[in-house]
Amino acid sequence: MLVLEKLREHGEKGRIALVNREKQLTYQELDMRSDAFAAWLLATLGEDRTPVVLYGEKEMDFLCCLLGTLKSGRAYVPIDRAVPRERATRILEEVHPKVIVDFGGLSPQTEAQVLDPSKVAELLTRPLEVPVPRERWVHGEDVVYILFTSGSTGTPKGVPITVSNLENFYWGLLPWYPKEEGGVILHQISYSFDVSGCAVYVGLARGMTLFTVDKEMTREYEELFAQLGRSGLTLWASTPSFAELCIQSGLFQEALLPNLRQFLFCGEVLTHTLCDALAHRFPRAQVINTYGPTEATVLVTAVEVTDRMREDDSRSIPIGRAIPGVQLRLEDKDGTLIPGDGREGQLVILGPSVGPGYFGRPDLTEKSFFQDLVTGLRGYRTGDLCYRAGELYYYCGRADNQLKLNGFRVEVEDVEQNLQKLPNVSRVAVVPVREGEKVQYLAAFLLLQVPDGLTPLKRSIQLKRQASALLPDYMIPRKFFAVDAFPLNVNGKVDKKELARRLQEGEV
Amino acid sequence: MSTLETVIQVLNGVCGAEEGEITSDLDLFEEGLLDSFGTIQLLMELEERFGVSLEIGEISCQLIATPEKIAQLIREAQA
Repeated sequence: MLVLEKLREHGEKGRIALVNREKQLTYQELDMRSDAFAAWLLATLGEDRTPVVLYGEKEMDFLCCLLGTLKSGRAYVPIDRAVPRERATRILEEVHPKVIVDFGGLSPQTEAQVLDPSKVAELLTRPLEVPVPRERWVHGEDVVYILFTSGSTGTPKGVPITVSNLENFYWGLLPWYPKEEGGVILHQISYSFDVSGCAVYVGLARGMTLFTVDKEMTREYEELFAQLGRSGLTLWASTPSFAELCIQSGLFQEALLPNLRQFLFCGEVLTHTLCDALAHRFPRAQVINTYGPTEATVLVTAVEVTDRMREDDSRSIPIGRAIPGVQLRLEDKDGTLIPGDGREGQLVILGPSVGPGYFGRPDLTEKSFFQDLVTGLRGYRTGDLCYRAGELYYYCGRADNQLKLNGFRVEVEDVEQNLQKLPNVSRVAVVPVREGEKVQYLAAFLLLQVPDGLTPLKRSIQLKRQASALLPDYMIPRKFFAVDAFPLNVNGKVDKKELARRLQEGEV
Repeated sequence: MSTLETVIQVLNGVCGAEEGEITSDLDLFEEGLLDSFGTIQLLMELEERFGVSLEIGEISCQLIATPEKIAQLIREAQA
């Protein structure tokens, strides 16, 4: 696997792989530490290739363990520490790991070996006489990672991605990276979200320095901007939401990041507003918009946002054209191919970027993944509605209840199913509150089992506390409203449009 | 309306609270009422209501932990 092969080469050039505040890790250290972890896994697990679970956030050793797991020929399952115990436990029950690296104090009740940070630190410094041979590394159709995303049943679903999937991603994205190796790339996205692959799989292979922005930093803007000012960033890879958060500060401009030449956005809708602001604040930086579902390896389209696209308010910013190796088509509701331009349909992805399916869920896999009889390529029906204009694709929305909230993929039903479990909650309807092209936040409407006698704020605080045991922060609605009854639509279902209207009109 | 009262009114909207619920010394972060995106929304609405410019790059959670502290920040920005 390319990223593993290149570690030594970048190490010999004395490059820095990772920076986190005052700490840094060289490629050489990363290479040696990941080797040490691989050797320990091989010695401990032998031929058992069960995936290794990595629980944490942006710890420097997280990256060492991640690459070490791959060098041992195993896949890793990253779980962000923002994921609460209950939800993490359900992932563990699906994966049945033999080894769990626990940077986040999960302390799971399990038969697996749990490594705490000090144990990991000790393992990673064990001297190794010979490096782990390449033959042991993951290759070909081996799974690299399994990411668990929001699932509409309330239980996260696993998406495995292989070495060959990531190879296509690498070659597809490479033309958008600087021609010269080196530089500094933003490393803000969680390992449990595949867009982090822009830094991990392309950034490291290109000898770039990953500049860490962790959750702690984004809580204190003063600290965040002080850090960014020292970063020397050349490539900004993030969700639009994170850039939108930064741009609220007047400090976020060329003077703060004089070396920055590119913004690479992925994971949610890129708005004209953000593009305009960036063009103004960073006149020398190129803005690249991309699109892709986790199931088809990070991203499958890309485009440079031109002034013309930015100024054309009559249509959204395009998600781009297919990257090399990927074929795209649009289908209508009965799966008939939609030819030509301008007509909306479901986007279907074909080619080596498409992953093997859902982990342990052949039923779900069969619904969305297929083998194309004509081309022989593997295909994935995205559930995303798009239209085409020439080579460019434009995103129109979802065919189901999945949405993007501050860059996170969220199934509305997942939130509902989990809130439904809270004590004294009888029924829940979750409504996304939109502003222009984006979902701003979630609001939850609740029927209580018995009146709780609480004021709305007290109730809201209590429900948020209770929900945080089941859901990561970003999935917890910002507002909670207790109602006496739900408005129903003609089909007898909860009328969410009416709830959204009441919110908008302030009738709650 | 005093600065503090207006701040609380804006907070009611952002947090979904009713009048009289948010007190001047309530710790907004401790109670989990504001996350980073909620904070941004709050700051933008404050800028609009008071016609001041708040530099988020210079604001720590400590500075805006309670309605009273926010009101103080606004008064300084207006001065």
